Amino acid sequence: MSSITYLESQKDEYRILDQWLKAREYVYVGKDVKRIDALDKVTGRARYVEDFLVEGLTYARIVKSDIPHGVIEWIRPGRAVEHPDFIALVTCEDIPGLNQVGYYIPDQPALAEKKVRFHGEPVALIVSSKPDSLEELRNLVEVEIKPLKAVYDPLEALKDKVLVHEEHGSNIVLRTKVKKGDVSKALENTDYVVENVYKTGYQEHAYLEPEGALAIPMDGGMTIILPAQYPHLAQSIIARVLGYPQSKIRIIQPVIGGGFGGKDDMGPIIGAQAAIAAYKVRRPVLLVYTREDSFTSHCKRDPAYIRYKSGANRDGKLTFVDVEIIFDAGAYANRGPFTLWRATAHATGPYEVPNVDVRGILVYTNKVYQGSFRGFGNPQVQFAAERQMDELADKIGIDPLEFRLKNILRIGSRISTDQVLEDSVGVGEALVRVAEKCGWFEKRKKYGKIVDGKARGIGLACAWHGISTSRGVPDWCNAYINVSKDGSVSIYTGIVEIGQGTHTGLIQIAAEALGIPVEKINLIGGTTDAPDTGATHGSRGLSFGGVAILLAASKIREKVQKVASRIFECKPEDVEIRDGWVFEKIKPEKRISWEEAVKRCYAEGEELSATGYFFMPKGKFDEEKGQGFAYIVFSYMVSAVEVEVDLETGLTRILKVWPAICAGKIVNPKLAVTQIHGATVQGIGYTLMEEVVIEDGKIVNTNYTDYLIPTISDIPEIDEPIFVEDYFKFGPMGAKGLAEMALIPIPAAITNAIKHAVGVKPSEIPYTPEKLYRDLLRRMRE
Amino acid sequence: MIPEIEYHRFSRLEDALRFLSENPDSKIIAGGTDLLVQLRARKINVKKLVDIYNIGELRYISEDSGEVKIGALTTIEELKNSKIVEKYVQPLHIASRSFATWQVRNIATIGGNLCNASPAADTAPPLIVAGARLRLKSIRRERIVPIEEFFRGPGQTILNPDEVLVEVNIPKHSGQWFFNFMKLGRRVSHILSIVNVAVAVKLDGGRIEDVKIALGSVAPTPIRAKSVEEYLKNREATLENIEKSSLEVVKDIKPISDVRASAEYRIEMSKVMVKRCLREALKL
Repeated sequence: MSSITYLESQKDEYRILDQWLKAREYVYVGKDVKRIDALDKVTGRARYVEDFLVEGLTYARIVKSDIPHGVIEWIRPGRAVEHPDFIALVTCEDIPGLNQVGYYIPDQPALAEKKVRFHGEPVALIVSSKPDSLEELRNLVEVEIKPLKAVYDPLEALKDKVLVHEEHGSNIVLRTKVKKGDVSKALENTDYVVENVYKTGYQEHAYLEPEGALAIPMDGGMTIILPAQYPHLAQSIIARVLGYPQSKIRIIQPVIGGGFGGKDDMGPIIGAQAAIAAYKVRRPVLLVYTREDSFTSHCKRDPAYIRYKSGANRDGKLTFVDVEIIFDAGAYANRGPFTLWRATAHATGPYEVPNVDVRGILVYTNKVYQGSFRGFGNPQVQFAAERQMDELADKIGIDPLEFRLKNILRIGSRISTDQVLEDSVGVGEALVRVAEKCGWFEKRKKYGKIVDGKARGIGLACAWHGISTSRGVPDWCNAYINVSKDGSVSIYTGIVEIGQGTHTGLIQIAAEALGIPVEKINLIGGTTDAPDTGATHGSRGLSFGGVAILLAASKIREKVQKVASRIFECKPEDVEIRDGWVFEKIKPEKRISWEEAVKRCYAEGEELSATGYFFMPKGKFDEEKGQGFAYIVFSYMVSAVEVEVDLETGLTRILKVWPAICAGKIVNPKLAVTQIHGATVQGIGYTLMEEVVIEDGKIVNTNYTDYLIPTISDIPEIDEPIFVEDYFKFGPMGAKGLAEMALIPIPAAITNAIKHAVGVKPSEIPYTPEKLYRDLLRRMRE
Repeated sequence: MIPEIEYHRFSRLEDALRFLSENPDSKIIAGGTDLLVQLRARKINVKKLVDIYNIGELRYISEDSGEVKIGALTTIEELKNSKIVEKYVQPLHIASRSFATWQVRNIATIGGNLCNASPAADTAPPLIVAGARLRLKSIRRERIVPIEEFFRGPGQTILNPDEVLVEVNIPKHSGQWFFNFMKLGRRVSHILSIVNVAVAVKLDGGRIEDVKIALGSVAPTPIRAKSVEEYLKNREATLENIEKSSLEVVKDIKPISDVRASAEYRIEMSKVMVKRCLREALKL
């Protein structure tokens, strides 16, 4: 159906990637190389944004709206001007360029202008000479806002009685569509049909380090030390706001205390806010969100309302899937158009479904806006899809694992958008192996009985996740590598280290391609000093960032091979470079050092620097028909979960998790395990306890006393992950994305296990003890 | 950010008491694990802080033939590690083990936990069922009050502005007493209680001779479950009686709905926790 466009200009790159893919045996890739930042972090030497002391530093804080929807009458410094530490009050009127930080739809101001649209929206910045007086100064600022009627419920917002953005004319931001076959015809000929409504809530990123930015006016432009996930995106947005050329904005990443997608969105926004203040006061400005500011004013995972209807025949084959997805964007569209599209394309789950009709609606409300968060629109819809699979299996009277295996995607399958999967589909194998490891059939028989007020259950869920941008949206990566005269190597990449360990993995790939030890390589990442590498999101940091580094390093390797071939009097391709030694493959005893080879290159006119630009091949998606190319490749995940439910209290204890991941080549197994652990735990929190409580538009639990995330005592044993290495031809050594994966199946895996234990049918997360308790009562009454 | 405050630190009780008598607009700070959070959130407004944490004479656990004495500045971690508390004040010992986090236990004090008067305070129900009395001292006088008379409402006690809680006295129990403490939260640990409960049961053979039950987080103050106690007194210690008695707890509690739980859920969980706490205490 969809054909992928390959570029003639990238033929060399395809060749290099193919060579490394076929090598299959590696010296550094696939090994547990120690994180390069480990020592600095455990010894406290790592420098976060607040650790950079620059001369003349001033401090800023956001001034927020305490009205969820209203018209700004005025903003005045009030008695703050009398305070000795007061430097400035910065409002939208101080913005030299465009007051616009919207991502795809230009609907979001850096500082509120004329109107406020959510409780906690930044309306101004207060700048002080001392950090200690910020709170006092902030309270002295006078903000007068005339309240308007507000709308919080997305279903209510669809009626357009209150408009969040009048100029848009409707609260519906946009609609998405994926369509295949004929759902209504399929419905007539289907044996079993299940229909349910699923709801998911906001999720807070809860990173240890809240948002921050240090903007320094210098060199006729602005340098911003910024915890962001895409330095070049921050650069372009900040340039727009300041009215500067992009080249005058320089972004440098400090050590970052967690991102999870939140800093992908917030980096440019807080960077722009800090830059506006620095522009006005002509001094460096450090803007940090307090924990409460972070809770009230930074984007969160989009709440979803999903109507899901699907059917299967007696033989256990899915016949159709009919879904309506409503995503609550909050006050601004931000990444909503993309999270919703991802949800729409993934709504079937990783199954072959002949008839598909998925319709998405993104809707504005007067609440904090949605944003990127590990899984990016997909956890919501996989929860619905995978809960639905268990309900359907129940109705047919078939084991949920067997039901999945009958429908699971394989090579050659046609996905929801009718794209054909050409390679790299390991999910079927993952399912079988997880089931074997967790003792699936035995436990399905044994559990589900109440013993002393408690019952155990086991459940599983799959997830699929498209890697790279969707449809024909361009995606590229790049890197710059330079070999110094002494043979040491510098790599410049835009990929950001946000705690995931990617920089270590990237160095492993470079070490592999160059044939030198990792210690000889220095990586400068997360900066606009590197070529535009794209974002560190969508599980693309190591896979795409790695492709660019692999290409650049391979080009240098070929130069060294050429020079060495003259020494050894052999063909360049017969020269091997390994562990810092250069030799002819068949005569390893006659060798020269890497340093010597580098010296020769410098002496003989061979350039030892290179870039590694790669443009990901894409196909076309027909938005009208809702069909076509969706993603170049998918990663897959299967998790089985064993739970024990306390029927008297509704408390769920997770006893064990068995993860399996299909992410192609695993570059660093230890780092992969840490990502699977972290994502699983974040998924447990999302499923059982994390709840943003909003009353009259105001978030009331802006602290970790009442916004609960799992602690170490809530974390179960997580079994050694199963790696199904389903190689991807455009990944470095076949690697695909990994970091988001383990979160995505968890909500359904847990709730399916709860269903198995006690028979309730969870349709809403967070599925708190109180909700489970209520469902149990209802079930008993029935 | 904490607003500017006058800060006074004392290492002798007498000096602190004198200052308090002359400065009734002061607020006492001990471990500060509750107070600093409240100050930062501007939930309370304070001009002067009196830091008593360094008054070493208020940090001790001792016993004589009749009672255990715990200095008000004894930390929760010290309670947890105390053999005396483990032996003679079992419910308090159990509560100290699940109290907040290690970091908080290391600095939070028993006096602070009581004077903060949170309805959810985990040390209160154990001390109520253990029959604790509190020694309150000012520069002019000293008084001893039963702990049940100490709490007035959320954040409110009978302490006068010039008074300091200096000691907790717990009588040693003779006879066949069984104690227990349990809490229910929304996750396994590091959590504020949705409901917590302590029990003390005296058996005479299989018959319940005496019983005290106290709950937290289900009324404006920690409270006794007197209806449950009445039901159980002089009845046989059987599972059936315990189950029936636990239903009586609805007469004793007045929970509210908040961000942690609804009132309805708290009511149901009070029954469950009373039952479980008694069952476990009596190993039924």
